[in-house]
Amino acid sequence: MKGEGFLGKNISSFTHALESVILAEDLCRAPGLLQRLDPRVKVATLLLFIVIVGLARSLWILGVIFVLILSFSLLSKVPLGFFLKRIMLFIPIFTAMIALPALFITPGAPLVSIAGRVIITEQGARTAGLLFLRVSDSLSFGVLLILTTTWANILVALRWFRMPSLIVDILGMTYRYIFLLLHTTNSMFLARRSRTIGSFSSGQNRRWLTRALATTMVKSQHLSEEVYLAMLSRGYQGEVRILNALSLKRRDFIWVAFALVVASFLLWSNRL
Amino acid sequence: MNTSDTGCIFEAKNLSYDYPGKIAALRQINFSIMPGELVALIGANGSGKSTLLKLLDGLIFPTDGELLAFGQPLSEQTFKEATFVSEFRRRVGLVFQDPDVQLFSPTVWDEVTFGPLQLEISKDEVISRSREVLELLNIAHLRERPPYLLSGGEKKKVSLACVLSLRPQVLLLDEPTTGLDPWSQGNLIDFLIQWADKGKSIVFSTQDLDTVEEMAKRVVVLGTEHNIVADGKPEEFLSDPDFLLRTNLVHEHSHRHKELVHRHPHLHEHQHQRYGADENMVG
Amino acid sequence: MHIPDGYLSPATCGVMYAASAPFWYLAVNRVRKVLTSRTVPVLALFSAFSFVLMMFNVPVPGGTTAHAVGATLLAIVLGPWAAVLGVSVALGIQALFFGDGGLLTFGANCFNMAIVMPFVGYFIYKVISSNSEITSPRRILGVVIGSYVGIVAAGAVAGIELGIQPALFHTANGTPLYAPYSLSVALPAMVIAHLAVAGPIEGAVTGGVVAYLQRSHPSLIKADATGRKEGKFWILWGALGVLALATPLGLLASGTAWGEWGLDELKNIGLGFIPRGLEKLAGWWPAPLPDYGFPRMGAVIGYILSAVVGIALVIFLLWMLGRRLSHKNSPAQ
Repeated sequence: MKGEGFLGKNISSFTHALESVILAEDLCRAPGLLQRLDPRVKVATLLLFIVIVGLARSLWILGVIFVLILSFSLLSKVPLGFFLKRIMLFIPIFTAMIALPALFITPGAPLVSIAGRVIITEQGARTAGLLFLRVSDSLSFGVLLILTTTWANILVALRWFRMPSLIVDILGMTYRYIFLLLHTTNSMFLARRSRTIGSFSSGQNRRWLTRALATTMVKSQHLSEEVYLAMLSRGYQGEVRILNALSLKRRDFIWVAFALVVASFLLWSNRL
Repeated sequence: MNTSDTGCIFEAKNLSYDYPGKIAALRQINFSIMPGELVALIGANGSGKSTLLKLLDGLIFPTDGELLAFGQPLSEQTFKEATFVSEFRRRVGLVFQDPDVQLFSPTVWDEVTFGPLQLEISKDEVISRSREVLELLNIAHLRERPPYLLSGGEKKKVSLACVLSLRPQVLLLDEPTTGLDPWSQGNLIDFLIQWADKGKSIVFSTQDLDTVEEMAKRVVVLGTEHNIVADGKPEEFLSDPDFLLRTNLVHEHSHRHKELVHRHPHLHEHQHQRYGADENMVG
Repeated sequence: MHIPDGYLSPATCGVMYAASAPFWYLAVNRVRKVLTSRTVPVLALFSAFSFVLMMFNVPVPGGTTAHAVGATLLAIVLGPWAAVLGVSVALGIQALFFGDGGLLTFGANCFNMAIVMPFVGYFIYKVISSNSEITSPRRILGVVIGSYVGIVAAGAVAGIELGIQPALFHTANGTPLYAPYSLSVALPAMVIAHLAVAGPIEGAVTGGVVAYLQRSHPSLIKADATGRKEGKFWILWGALGVLALATPLGLLASGTAWGEWGLDELKNIGLGFIPRGLEKLAGWWPAPLPDYGFPRMGAVIGYILSAVVGIALVIFLLWMLGRRLSHKNSPAQ
């Protein structure tokens, strides 16, 4: 069915997003290693390691980091298959596709020749490997953070790091309403699909889609007005006041020490 | 803020409101509400019930006429004064019809603590009040949940909880029983009646005439011309089928018995099967 | 067009964060002034909308699908400064929660999609539709062309960011450490991809939504929120922006820019002699940034940074001038 592809794709991507939130929230409450750490500590070490991944010059450092990531995820009770799927979902595959031509067109010393004609250079192989591993490592850190920290806690950490409270308030509320909008747009798509007999041209589909988008935008605008009134009704006067209830424990300090040791080692071996 | 000489909580004098674009929402509304009343606001869709509740909560202001709360006018000017606003917000709470509008915070706990925190109540007090309200409505286990992972009934309970944590004197509710299954409806009604027992006031809008019968001591009916067409005890109007038809509160139903067509207003008779007073009324 | 972590060096990421920061700062201040206490709910809902819009698969003739960004749409409905924040917040959540776009590269992605795109798109939209009726077809034309050019511009900037990586960041034996394709490959590839695919999608989606709004909710397509007098400044900002971004293209061109020859170049062109006065002047002004390069940094970044510093100086001088003039004209406060 010709027009079905785009409806199906949208429905599955929205559904997937909605499901992944539920899974993430569940995992955040599991009694694993990372779940028990203070969110501020997690955000700080995440950033530290992503920078290290960015600075790494050799493939083996990136490889070691990936092994570390896998062990952290296991210790945090994240199912391995789920974790790998989440990482490999499309960015590393997409990156592999981007990196592929680099194997052949990067100038340098020949490494391997295929069928005697096409040459893969050493530089080409290294650059493709570096790119692929870097992307995978960075992505994995982000995924680990999300799977072991609730969004509400991430916001508390950001606030502590002096991010302007206006931005944090917006981030929190945006996240909350994304799922509502996803849900209502998904219903729109499902309704459309259930009424689809035969197929539509892609032009018709685009027209329907832009109408659906416009409707969603109008709904967003309407919601924003109502939410504003709801906030006013309970005393909002421009700045949200919140309770702060975080405290560092001994395990947080141990983790920080461990992270610093590993980071220093990796940075030092980078120079070699 | 003192109550006026008459002791009214709300007093509307020729109150009118237009939507932006000069579309009439309410016309020439006159009533007063005394402390301890349980008032039901009914009328067909579009008759202005939600608008009236928002006016009562000082979220929008009259385009004509006057609305007084505790003796003070509700207007843009009076709401510029911060102390007046805080005091008013402490005393009056509005539970919106759509829980997705009411629940805008990341978690249930954030939501319930939002109100008292904005009103600068001490942190310890905020925590104890919020815990109490969650226990009261039996939703303490939902504390860390984000709103999009709650069921419809749970959302309604949290909506109520986050307003109750303000400990208001007056509770305004926009269609509180809509969307709830009969069992939850019954529980909610029982809860509200119990809550109002200690001298608090409730004004709620509803489409459901059964709820009105169970809960309200007074009914205000908004008509199709955006004014009040009736104001008094429920028994006075709710058994008058012509009145109900005129104000679009019921629909005319017809069914056939072979050649004979029966036409009558569709009223619901319900059995009273309430639980006994010693049973746990909040579930 | 979301660039993941790993494609840009940490140094480039730092520069892009620095480039975005002033826009974020200004955006927060502007938006707060206009929206006041409505800022949080309005921006939250529109960021959520922006996020969902970016997730939509749009059918492309040929059977596949593509994504739109919607930055220009947001700029038209809320104003460009609010669009900066709205798109940035949406990108932030995409990066953090869905891994779409990196955390280090967040600054660059915001610069491309949340800053360049809405401003370029809005600027062109304003220029084309100027004071025509809200419901006129000319508005739609402005919308379509504006959003088209906006996304192409964003793609071009992304192409530049990616394309300068191999030249600047490589190992001793020439292995590119980050994005492996040079400017002469990356830039044309990105520009062509956006001209041919992303651009038409963006134009069609933005145009379609605005056309629908024209009929159903024209009040959403409001007049310029920032005020009348901003109009003339748009042209100035737009021109400066284009110039700043075009500077690295100068590197692609061989030879030095016409008129900027140093003494050696003059000799080589064919002027057999060096005008006496020029010789005297040549050594007089030891510029702090000789040959547009910052010490110890790659040529291209140095080039761009010099352009930015130069423009900043010009703007600062103009602003000071403007203040002096307005103080003369307006009564003391």
